[in-house]
Amino acid sequence: MFHAKPLGKLAAPLSARAYASVSGSAPVISTANSIKVAALSGATDSPLASVSLVINAGSRYETGENAGAAHFLKAFGFRNTQTRTSFRTIREAELNGATLTAEATRENITFTVQCFKEAVPYFVEVLGDIAVATKFTEHEFKDVARLVAFESLGARSDSSARVLDGVHQAAFRGGLGNSLYALESSPITSGDAVRRYAETAVAPGRLAVVATGVDAQELANLVSSSRLASLTSSASTLSSPSATFTGGVQQIYESAAPISHYALAFASGSASAKPLAALLGAQSRVKWSTTGVAPLSKLAATEGFGISPFSFSYSDAGLVGLVVSAPRSQIKGAVEKIAGAIQRDIASAGAEAVQRAAAAARVDMAESLATQQGQIRALTGLALGQKSGVTLESVDDAAAKLSAEAAKVFKSKPVAVSVGLSQDTPYVDTLGF
Amino acid sequence: MLEPIARAVQNNGVFRAICRPLANTWVNLSGYRRLGLRYDDLLREETPIIQEAIARLNRDETDGRVYRHKRAFQLSLSHQELPSSQWTKPQDDYKYLQPLIEEVRLEQEERDAFNSMTTTVRK
Repeated sequence: MFHAKPLGKLAAPLSARAYASVSGSAPVISTANSIKVAALSGATDSPLASVSLVINAGSRYETGENAGAAHFLKAFGFRNTQTRTSFRTIREAELNGATLTAEATRENITFTVQCFKEAVPYFVEVLGDIAVATKFTEHEFKDVARLVAFESLGARSDSSARVLDGVHQAAFRGGLGNSLYALESSPITSGDAVRRYAETAVAPGRLAVVATGVDAQELANLVSSSRLASLTSSASTLSSPSATFTGGVQQIYESAAPISHYALAFASGSASAKPLAALLGAQSRVKWSTTGVAPLSKLAATEGFGISPFSFSYSDAGLVGLVVSAPRSQIKGAVEKIAGAIQRDIASAGAEAVQRAAAAARVDMAESLATQQGQIRALTGLALGQKSGVTLESVDDAAAKLSAEAAKVFKSKPVAVSVGLSQDTPYVDTLGF
Repeated sequence: MLEPIARAVQNNGVFRAICRPLANTWVNLSGYRRLGLRYDDLLREETPIIQEAIARLNRDETDGRVYRHKRAFQLSLSHQELPSSQWTKPQDDYKYLQPLIEEVRLEQEERDAFNSMTTTVRK
């Protein structure tokens, strides 16, 4: 009675034109009701595939009335639907050797299944049910709320997650500034509230199905025969203010933390964020070498504090910067030295440093595109029009203009976020930017 | 074994036609509506399945259920009935719990089926 349904023969040779790697020209197919479908057929000798349902309804689309809804919607992934119970979904995934994951970013909510190629038709069906027929029952909401509370608490007790959340809040305020996590004060208190958010979010124009190890046309056919085809193309009412970099300071007082963190973040183009972060320099690529040649990591190593650069690319904005971590007594000096070094050495970096950064960014991108996760991310970007910074070409383009970008970006006024004993951290307007 | 037979009899048109007129009389005679109860209030609740189903009721249904029970206990203790204007009306005597019991029962059945599943190697 509960044998897996007979699965179609997806592993069979597919259409003539198959794409093996992500590039700007990878095919994005629109189904009859304008759901975007993108796929890479990848290596033909690998039995592995992945399918993801992407809903363009991340935390940036939340408002005051439904703050935290995206986090709850993510946690409701793979729960009971009209067609199958979550118990059944999970058991069948286990029988198929599949892995189910749900991920929320500021822009998208992604439900991913990693599985064997022959199981893809079944899981496209499962993902279609998730989008269209999740029940959002109240007794499940209790479990979901516990999970959400745990994840939020975890993020709050992790200083680096907190500092990055703070950076977004200071830089963008509403929209992209919304927290990734549902706070305790979240107005979402019932399954119905999550359902309301889902109903506005699940409109064909906001959906993409991306896959690796599958031919795009074949995937589009599967999507057209799943429940996703029943969605009519009504316009979604979700909207997000376009990102404007407002600048500001956020000081989060946490006296228990033995180490203080201080983040400086600059507004950049969305494609240039990655190469610029490489220019700030981070991990040395030479094993066991603590110093490297990048001026900031050299400074950090000799002075004895930590730096970790970060970059974020969104459809209409980019952020680049670094987090300085040091014991509270040293944080002020560390931040001041780093700020000085950014203005002195990074904003007007030499040709050699720029070339190093461009190469590092390129390797990082190529490395990421060689992984299933990186491919899913890139395909999502292509399908939903969040294109910048997802392909090797776009990184190359940005790297070509790197030194002019660096001069512009690293002389602008950054936002600053500190977590720790705030009395000891400098204000951003004393740093000379 | 007996369940399919019972179901077949229940769904039999002739049987239903005979029983239908008797049903309301039967329900009125059984007297629970005179205490303001609904049929689903009388289901034996000491089973794991029904406990789970009760836990899934929404707040309003739970409150109503508790209120009806308390009122009925009180009436029963004092050997009274509600005035006829407050008897449970037939339209109020709907199945508020049975769909949930059925849902939980099916979930349990599914769980048991998966737990006792045998796999065969595809040839």
